[in-house]
Amino acid sequence: MGVSRRTFLGRGTLAVAAAGVLSSVPGLSGLLTSAEADGPAVDAGAGDAGAAAGGDLAEPLVAHVRDVTTGEISVFNGTREVVVRDPQLAGRLVRAVR
Amino acid sequence: MSSHREAPEIAKDPVADSTDLYAFVSPDAPDTVTLIANYVPLEGPDGGPNFYEFGDEVLYTINVDNDGDGDADVVFEFSFHTEVTDPGTFLYNTGPITSLGASTWNRRQSYSVTRVDTERGRRTVLGQGLACPPCNIGPLSTPDYTALAQAAVHQLPGRVQVFAGQRAEGFYVDLGSIFDLGVLRPFEQDHTTFGLSGTGLGAMAAGVNATKGLNVHSIAIQVPVTELTAGRATGRTAGSPSSVIGVWTAAYRQKVRMWDGDGHVWAGPYVQVSRLGNPLVNEVVIPMGKKDYWNAQPPGADRQFASSFSDPELAQLLPVLYPGVFPNLAAYNAGAPDRADVVAILLTGIPAGIVPGFQNFTGTTQADMLRLNVALPPASAPANTGLLGGDVAGFPNGRRVFDDVVTIELRALAGATLGLVDPSFTPDAAAGAVSQGLTSSPGDLGAMGTEHYLSSFPYLGVPSSGFAVPAA
Repeated sequence: MGVSRRTFLGRGTLAVAAAGVLSSVPGLSGLLTSAEADGPAVDAGAGDAGAAAGGDLAEPLVAHVRDVTTGEISVFNGTREVVVRDPQLAGRLVRAVR
Repeated sequence: MSSHREAPEIAKDPVADSTDLYAFVSPDAPDTVTLIANYVPLEGPDGGPNFYEFGDEVLYTINVDNDGDGDADVVFEFSFHTEVTDPGTFLYNTGPITSLGASTWNRRQSYSVTRVDTERGRRTVLGQGLACPPCNIGPLSTPDYTALAQAAVHQLPGRVQVFAGQRAEGFYVDLGSIFDLGVLRPFEQDHTTFGLSGTGLGAMAAGVNATKGLNVHSIAIQVPVTELTAGRATGRTAGSPSSVIGVWTAAYRQKVRMWDGDGHVWAGPYVQVSRLGNPLVNEVVIPMGKKDYWNAQPPGADRQFASSFSDPELAQLLPVLYPGVFPNLAAYNAGAPDRADVVAILLTGIPAGIVPGFQNFTGTTQADMLRLNVALPPASAPANTGLLGGDVAGFPNGRRVFDDVVTIELRALAGATLGLVDPSFTPDAAAGAVSQGLTSSPGDLGAMGTEHYLSSFPYLGVPSSGFAVPAA
């Protein structure tokens, strides 16, 4: 199961859009490429039908820190979602908004 | 309602809210099947200047399962694109819209249709840049609406025709009464009324078609039978499993939505936000706490909701709301209800041997799909009560636009079909008579003149005009 809208907005999580935070958080810009090697998106389904090819940063990149403690981050771009675990990056994102 | 505003989250997202689904052997082309999925509930025809439309960011699908596993084998995807000719005016149109190419039409939509054969992973674009008609505004803006809308019926290769745009709401229902604690106007004298006095209830009254005059947005596609069945079966043998297809519609949005100044930014994979197979399932069978979750689930996972079907809440409520009217149902409910009839109608299809000459069984996989036996020809004298009225071409064998699905499901839940699977149960007399009072007889195919269906594709009526909306 993917993330529901409710959990997306839930406490203890953090979502950032690349446009505003990318430049101030080292590591995020390279996240999508590195995450692709980690495996497919967590949510198959209808998204497969319309999946765009490649990580096109002409489209928005959104990172959702699902769990700060474990560093689990969902990264959305185009019609893809990849999940990475990077506690250090999650920590930097948290510090960026404090 | 059938599935209008049926769950808390989707009620806030009308363009992705599926309201009704129809699947039937086309009466005027019986070697084809017509599939219609409606979205955008309860459109007021005068809702300008931003008249109703499909969502550009919504992926709409009509899904067909032809092997009974609850997974789609054939998917028709519909994606819409809105074009604004002149962003410098607030007007939807700057003069009469006399053709789909009229320069006076400022905000228009077009769409693409893609067929996906999931087993082979093959995607085929059936059509693109297909024009939707405008909304029916009034005699000045859309002076010959019938012809204008008919021009938006597109003929595609392979004897496929499609239409996407505004239609008259074809689902008739007495919303105001049914959601006032289950009042049915023709039977209000029997309602418990919770001991209240001075309610104005108490006398038998005619039903009120609450959707009369309202519109909806329809996605309709007509395809040869063999394009839907397993192994391209022709559907000539009613007893064959390959003659039965399961149909549902679903809408998807991308996972992430972010407000960014003057519009939304979307990202991520498409996730299901709405689905609809049989009418009224998420509406009155699935409990409040599971409705949003149900909308996100595939039909093939519906076994997890089985208890809501085998002991449906509405069947429990009927004897309570109408004391003494359903004594046999009340006694049955007091035991250990196991409504195999409801499960069959809504989740597996009806096996052979239950109703003479009929089956739409898809196997043991429990999945809410509209099951259509394509081998059963259109009825020469249809009954709006469908299978309960002896018309095997009607709901729950698929669903035609005129089927009185509220009455059919009310009667089934009241126990009218329970005796078919439990010979020890005798249905109450009221179970076969309960109705919402919106038709004059089983042969009434127009809800006492409040519905005006078409005899040919896209079958749902010409939408009501905004100008014609009566004053409140």
